[in-house]
Amino acid sequence: MDKTTRVLLIEDNPGDADLVRLRLIEGKSPVNVNCVNRLSDGLASLNVETPSVVLLDLNLPDSRGAETFRRVMEHSPHVPIVVLSGQDDEALAAKALHQGVQDYLVKGDISSKHLERAIRYAVERQGLLRALEIAQKTQIDFKNQFLSHVSHELRTPLTCIHQYVTLLLDGLAGAMAPEQTDHLKTVLKSVNQLHAMLRDLLEATRAESGKMRIEPRCIAIGELVQQAVAMLRPTAEEKKIGLEIGMDQRLPLVLADPDRVLEVLINLVDNAIKFTPAEGSIMVRANLVEADAGYVYISVSDTGRGISPEAKTLIFERLYQDADSIDNNRSGLGLGLFICREIVRLHEGRIWVTSEPGEGSTFTFTLPIYSLAKLLAPVIVHEERLRPALVLVRVELAPLSNPPQGNWKETWQQGLETLRRCVYLDKDLVLPPMGASGATETLFVVASTDLQRSGVMTTRTRELLERVPDLKNKCKITITTVPVELPSGKPGETLEQQVQNVASCVTEMILTSRERKLSHAGKVARETKSKRSTNNKEN
Amino acid sequence: MQKPKILLVDDDPDLVRALRLRLRANNYEVTTASDGYAAIATAQKERPALIILDLGLPVGDGFVVLDRLQSMDTLAGVPVIVLSARDPQANEERALRAGASAFFQKPADNDELLNVIRLNIGAGTEPKTAWPS
Repeated sequence: MDKTTRVLLIEDNPGDADLVRLRLIEGKSPVNVNCVNRLSDGLASLNVETPSVVLLDLNLPDSRGAETFRRVMEHSPHVPIVVLSGQDDEALAAKALHQGVQDYLVKGDISSKHLERAIRYAVERQGLLRALEIAQKTQIDFKNQFLSHVSHELRTPLTCIHQYVTLLLDGLAGAMAPEQTDHLKTVLKSVNQLHAMLRDLLEATRAESGKMRIEPRCIAIGELVQQAVAMLRPTAEEKKIGLEIGMDQRLPLVLADPDRVLEVLINLVDNAIKFTPAEGSIMVRANLVEADAGYVYISVSDTGRGISPEAKTLIFERLYQDADSIDNNRSGLGLGLFICREIVRLHEGRIWVTSEPGEGSTFTFTLPIYSLAKLLAPVIVHEERLRPALVLVRVELAPLSNPPQGNWKETWQQGLETLRRCVYLDKDLVLPPMGASGATETLFVVASTDLQRSGVMTTRTRELLERVPDLKNKCKITITTVPVELPSGKPGETLEQQVQNVASCVTEMILTSRERKLSHAGKVARETKSKRSTNNKEN
Repeated sequence: MQKPKILLVDDDPDLVRALRLRLRANNYEVTTASDGYAAIATAQKERPALIILDLGLPVGDGFVVLDRLQSMDTLAGVPVIVLSARDPQANEERALRAGASAFFQKPADNDELLNVIRLNIGAGTEPKTAWPS
């Protein structure tokens, strides 16, 4: 191995540079010095070859002070740095040690022995640090691989238990006494808990190794809040806990992954139920905050016993368990809030908790508002004014079977792709897919045309959609067109405000069209539910 | 009326026994295989209406089986439901691309599984309800 120490000396004072070079050569070990007098030249040299150590003067023609070592460290984080300071900036050099610089020497006070040792130690320490980093990363990778393997392996026996327990419960292995059924139901509950824990474990592992993915769509957050609350209402009622929703009348659409956001909501509401005593109440809110215009705030407040200030800072960390909650027979691995935080972070939102011990807690997270105006502007503005007419085309793809056959997502995405090919790029806009409630997928196009002429477009769209075999065979395609009421530009209104008005108008139309759909879906769900309960009675 | 036949492929004999019971209770005829090679051979011989396929199998894993099935004129049209403990994020897309019509991660919900079977090949002659009177 080459024992020569390769030194990159970045020093602009020729006298100092010569002195350091001389001291280096005087030393016992072989050394190779490359001297430059500007930071930019130093960084350029680092691009070409990696030296054993950088000797760095902090005050250079093109950089001064702390900035100098920060830039070297940013450029080459693994190369050890020894700062050469003057008498006047020794304090700064000492501070540099806290920020990752290996050592500093005061110029004019440098012997060759001194210098040689400083360099040797700097190289050694940096090497150890690097080895430690690598070891830590390997360990995390190993742990994550192990956890993902474990959660997979545990599924196999769990599946077996689940299958036999449900066999017995469903009476497929002979009739059971009521007490036996009762006991087995307890087993099934535990199996389901175990299953949920395995899911969390895998999810947390994914988050930690950066493999968690989100698919943001344009969604009405109110629908998700209602969905989460509806799912957990029975659990809340069991504990006699009130579960209410408080939402702003007209919330803008948000850009988010509906499945993931639902996961966060369920987690927060479920936690709130767990920590709220009987007869307490939980409030889920979604609203806008004036000071933070780009986001919708979603919060879950409970009347539980609250969270201590110490716990507040730790509660979103992986594996955190509130000490008070363990004796509470609470199940869970302490991964739920960690997963929530990671999901919200991937959406570029924030999540936090406010709480007064004894008075309950409020968990809040934010999601970015989906700005229709920004998307619409290039399409609906032409020659410095709004286009004369706009229509909103609604394309509904309803699968023929429920649940849909095959890969439904791939099917409706083919529809989306086809739709994008049907429109004029400069005059029409296919909106990002909307969060679906149920399997039916509704796609929207804002087209610069009037109702009369839109007929040509819808006919053409239908023809092209029906040419996709998957769509033709698997779903019912409904296309409807509604004119967008253009706001009569008030005098003095800027073009930007006019675009904003159109965007609000379109948002309103989309929401109304979805609400109609929703109330219909709600009715169907209720009917099926009541049917099911009648069936049970008959049995 | 002939009961629809399902080929159940899994290398865990205990799970096979339980699933077979459940499928039979729903009036399907069940035939089984415990490795990839046997899966293809049995499919050729028995001509099932539907196949439930595990991914981690000896002698040709589930993906090999999917590929082979797709390449055979007589079997390419048979719907395949993948039922595996593997991570859907890494395997669902791949399985569906390889020709599977649905992916379930173990443990799967019985009702959902039966529902997808029904959608693909219709109900067994008279499905039993969950609760005996």
